[in-house]
Amino acid sequence: MTLRESVVDALVDVRVNKGRTILQTLGVILGVASLVAVQGLSDAGRRQALKFFSELGGLRKILVLNKPIKERVQTARQLASDGLTWGDVQAIKRDVPYATHVDPIATQDLMVRSPSYLKERTIHGATPDYQAVYKFFPARGRFLIDDDMASMARVCVLGDSAARLYFGNEDPLGKTVFIGDVGFRVVGVMRRKEFFFNEGDQNALEWMNRLTIVPITAMYARFTGDPKKRVNYINVMVDKVDNNRKATLEIKKVLFRRHGGVEDFEVYNREERLRQQQSQGQVFDITFLVTGIVSLIVGGIVIMNIMLASLRDRIREVGIRKALGARGFDVAVQFLVESILVTSIGGLAGLPLGMAFAGAITVLIGQPAVITPQMALVSVVASVATGLFFGLYPAVKAARLSPVEALRYE
Amino acid sequence: MPLAAPAPQGAPVINLQDVCKVYDSGDNAVHALRGVTLEVGAGEAMAIIGPSGSGKSTLMHIVGCLDVPSSGEYYLAGTPVSRMSAKELARIRNQKIGFIFQAYNLLPRASILRNVELPMMYAGVPWAERQDRAREALRKVGLAERARHLPSQLSGGQRQRVAIARALVNRPSILLADEPTGNLDTQTGREILELFDDLGAHGHTVILVTHDMNVAAHAKRVIRLVDGLVANGAHPEPAAAGGPAA
Repeated sequence: MTLRESVVDALVDVRVNKGRTILQTLGVILGVASLVAVQGLSDAGRRQALKFFSELGGLRKILVLNKPIKERVQTARQLASDGLTWGDVQAIKRDVPYATHVDPIATQDLMVRSPSYLKERTIHGATPDYQAVYKFFPARGRFLIDDDMASMARVCVLGDSAARLYFGNEDPLGKTVFIGDVGFRVVGVMRRKEFFFNEGDQNALEWMNRLTIVPITAMYARFTGDPKKRVNYINVMVDKVDNNRKATLEIKKVLFRRHGGVEDFEVYNREERLRQQQSQGQVFDITFLVTGIVSLIVGGIVIMNIMLASLRDRIREVGIRKALGARGFDVAVQFLVESILVTSIGGLAGLPLGMAFAGAITVLIGQPAVITPQMALVSVVASVATGLFFGLYPAVKAARLSPVEALRYE
Repeated sequence: MPLAAPAPQGAPVINLQDVCKVYDSGDNAVHALRGVTLEVGAGEAMAIIGPSGSGKSTLMHIVGCLDVPSSGEYYLAGTPVSRMSAKELARIRNQKIGFIFQAYNLLPRASILRNVELPMMYAGVPWAERQDRAREALRKVGLAERARHLPSQLSGGQRQRVAIARALVNRPSILLADEPTGNLDTQTGREILELFDDLGAHGHTVILVTHDMNVAAHAKRVIRLVDGLVANGAHPEPAAAGGPAA
């Protein structure tokens, strides 16, 4: 007997037993709905995180940080290591093949004075690569250039909010702002950066709008006077996301060598961090996933029970079919098709319900709703798998009935 | 090592050699058949009579390949059945044997057309051909215009005619009927039996299980089963002579 025939028979059976079918599908509907909602929500979360990271320069970024050594008594080697320095930056540029941009950052808290402002602020010393690494570009004027680096120029670039803070509504370009009593000419004002995780949240990138950036060389020369030219952190941009892992290893190797085998640094791979973040932000997902799976199991058990109960009514039918030439296989397929049909009906009904769940939750937490093709996939796979798994036992039981006993059954 | 020589020309289509069937229900084994030896030739019409519990149905189940003997051998058209797999037995039931039951045994939720289609579905007959043949079979038993009806919408006699159409649709060589008139009134029963008489004329091997001598009289040969054994293989008294009532 062909599969199509089994489907026809199953459809007849489902139509005749509407009440039974509704009972059977309820659990599957809820289970599939939960799984569909999980799919949509985790997808929404993933998209959000990706968008945020791409605002900050994408996934090709590797962050190198200083790691303070915790031991109270340090070895000579540990004491000899200077942490991350300008020299490390040059070495990474030279020795890490995948690195396209390497931008070190040194910060220093300094008094900032302008005609309408006087307060201590954190000043960032950076290089021209900063633009590429943070996807942060000037709205007016220019960013730092190589000449500024070479000449340790007293120029600065302001974030949008910082410019407003220092100069109010006046045009800051060409004006002077005093940083630690040294006059710096404003050569550029950056484009505003904005990102809102949820509606009504604060701008997650406002810190960038408040930046005051000077050439890192000027920072060393005018303020820190640090002969070792230490840096706070280094951003490395690689050519391809696929090379993240290799580049991370290379960077570690270079730094390990330069720091005399002391691991006083940490290297973070954006892509890995994104993954970690996702696994942390999955409480929602897991709740729904567990709910969905439990519903599917309960739904499956209900289906199995009803199939077994209805098998008692249908033992005679099985006997008749076997007398007419049905093999055990035919009978099993027929019962399986029927249970899969029932769960598929549940899956079909669960799909829009799950989308509604996801929609309601995204409204509650103020995220944009996401409807993905994977939702349909999840509902199909989950419902068919449930039907297959929980239909198997009744199907095998039906297939194994002896024809004579089945025919004799009253 | 061939155990069974190829069937000689003119060999019986059904050949039972010392067939026993024991149902093992816990401590007390039930001996339904105690050594039945029986040959039925191609195209022969035979009735099996006997009281309830004599083993009639068991014998029919074994002949119909619904069950296998506990011991002894059953050759169907020369082929030993006891070594066949469940799959092969299903194929034989599908191709070689047509069943007619006292309780009709139609699928209650399927139209009578679909009921008649069933054996062809298991035989893998394509849809269009199946439809044609099923309609033709229903036409032969006079129910063509009822094709879309459910069994519950038909009378007992009509249902039994559907069952006959279904039993014949795969053109089996053997027709097995278990008390085919048991649930019918005398008049309807007579009509059904006339159908059987026709079939015998068409070359089917017909085996009729009954406890009613008037029914058995429709067969040329009658055997009587008593306690799982063949009591006699004699031909019955002619029905016209007012043969013994069962």
